[in-house]
Amino acid sequence: MALLSAQNLCWQVANKPIVNDVSFDVHQGQFVGLIGPNGAGKSSLMRCLYRVNTPTSGQVSFAGKDVWQLSAKQNAKNMSVILQEHSDHLGLTVRDVVSQGLTPHKSLFEWDNSQDGLLINQVMSQVDVLGLSQSPFQTLSGGEKQRVMLARALIQNTELLIMDEPTNHLDVHYQADMMNQVKQINKTVFASFHDLNLAAAFCDYLLVLDKGCLVASGSPQDVLTQDLIQSVFRTSVSVDVHPTHGHPRITYHYHD
Amino acid sequence: MAILAVSFGAANISSGDVLCVLWNVIGGDTEVSDIKQRIILELRFPRLILAFLTGAGLSLAGAVLQTVTRNPLADPYLFGIASGASFGAVLVIASITGAGISGFAISQMSITTGAFIGAAFSVFIVLSLAGRGIQIERMLLAGVAVSFMFSAGTSLVLYASDPEAAASLLFWTLGSFTRANWDTLLVPSLVITSCLILFLGYARSLKAVLAGDETAKTLGVNVTRLRMAMLLLGSLITATLVANTGGIGFVGLMIPHIVRRLMPSQQQYFFLGCTFFGGVFMVWVDVLARSLVANNELPIGVITAAIGSVFFLLVLRKRSWIDS
Repeated sequence: MALLSAQNLCWQVANKPIVNDVSFDVHQGQFVGLIGPNGAGKSSLMRCLYRVNTPTSGQVSFAGKDVWQLSAKQNAKNMSVILQEHSDHLGLTVRDVVSQGLTPHKSLFEWDNSQDGLLINQVMSQVDVLGLSQSPFQTLSGGEKQRVMLARALIQNTELLIMDEPTNHLDVHYQADMMNQVKQINKTVFASFHDLNLAAAFCDYLLVLDKGCLVASGSPQDVLTQDLIQSVFRTSVSVDVHPTHGHPRITYHYHD
Repeated sequence: MAILAVSFGAANISSGDVLCVLWNVIGGDTEVSDIKQRIILELRFPRLILAFLTGAGLSLAGAVLQTVTRNPLADPYLFGIASGASFGAVLVIASITGAGISGFAISQMSITTGAFIGAAFSVFIVLSLAGRGIQIERMLLAGVAVSFMFSAGTSLVLYASDPEAAASLLFWTLGSFTRANWDTLLVPSLVITSCLILFLGYARSLKAVLAGDETAKTLGVNVTRLRMAMLLLGSLITATLVANTGGIGFVGLMIPHIVRRLMPSQQQYFFLGCTFFGGVFMVWVDVLARSLVANNELPIGVITAAIGSVFFLLVLRKRSWIDS
């Protein structure tokens, strides 16, 4: 059974379809990438998956259960989400932000115990932010913030991790660093990307969204063809094979 | 410290007297004059407790408002909640005085109810003007507008009242603990204790709201419902206190900032810290109010506004205070 599944998903705003009849499956252990030009509806589609947008029609299910039949808390135990933009967290320390991941696992009046403390330390050292533990979250750099978000998602301890353009605003080093960290944690991942080369390097399955519709899906080798990229992204490219990693490599032709 | 605070005031009472009276209360037998004993037990102690409750309650209300709006400048005063509550209370007081209704219980309950309706009404206006997804700037501006609207209403009631009633109303709108007695303490202490318990219970969800609405939802928090409930609880605290002590501003803004600075970690300690520091702060503001001018009492709201506005300017000047 698919871990996450969307069936004929539609989402409209004022009768304008933003997500239009999208169906796909994400299986356990897969690393699925969602690509598409600006305004294709990637973020809107993802919001339908993590229950911020209510689908106009169609269904999203997790392990066979409709996510809208589950409580917010149960959903938070199934999937963790890393967004593009982060709140300032009103002066919270890095450690407090990481501990927010415990929210769905605790009941009223249940505060962090010493075991939680140990777990938080372990996860923070895993993603290399232990040294920043007492720093206010908003003083961190973009790359550090993303690592903290990853630590929070790890504490949330879910089967599925959803990321909306996790490498946005990051420099080349942090882009590769973030994606390698995510790859190492061995979770089922559903992430959207702007950078096609990054998507080609890390995903084992790609979905291409254009004007709200799913126009292609399959392995990076199958999907990232010269024709598809030129028609969907309206950019002239050539595609060959990455010399060391073997995945498709896209070269953009910026001048006519 | 409480004993020292009780000893300040118009009548000449020493800390020793206070200790003796306390000793008598728990069954001891020492020599204290009857007058002193009555002043200490029936005036000073209720007043001390009301001051503590007011400081604690306003700080808690400010803390919870700042949290659910993720806005470091939120407090009952800036949101128009306090002015709404003041207007409701003044309207009730003026009409009770006008109609000649007496009876302590009726008046206290009806003033509190009037204050709560006024407060809830201003929360409703501010929220409906705040736009989808609670835009912080719009909310602040709406709060300012609502604040002015209700202040105008309060002024109108004052203007329409007879001079004697107007003078006492005016003193009351500036904030004072003179009405404190053992009976008035019941409602505020019940309200503040139950709100504190609720805030502590929901501390984790409240902390999750700081991550942003969308993220908080993915952490399993029903943000809209939680925010609405917390805004109403904040209004309830404010309304109860305004009904008993009048308008005391800036405490709810200031204390959460200081507490956040002193203990940056852990939301449940944050609420306890605000309760304690807010309470202690207000007790000493009251001591100042009673002793700055000999044989006269300054309105509490004047002192907190003086301290608070300077604090506010410092915060604005050094925005890093709230950013870091």
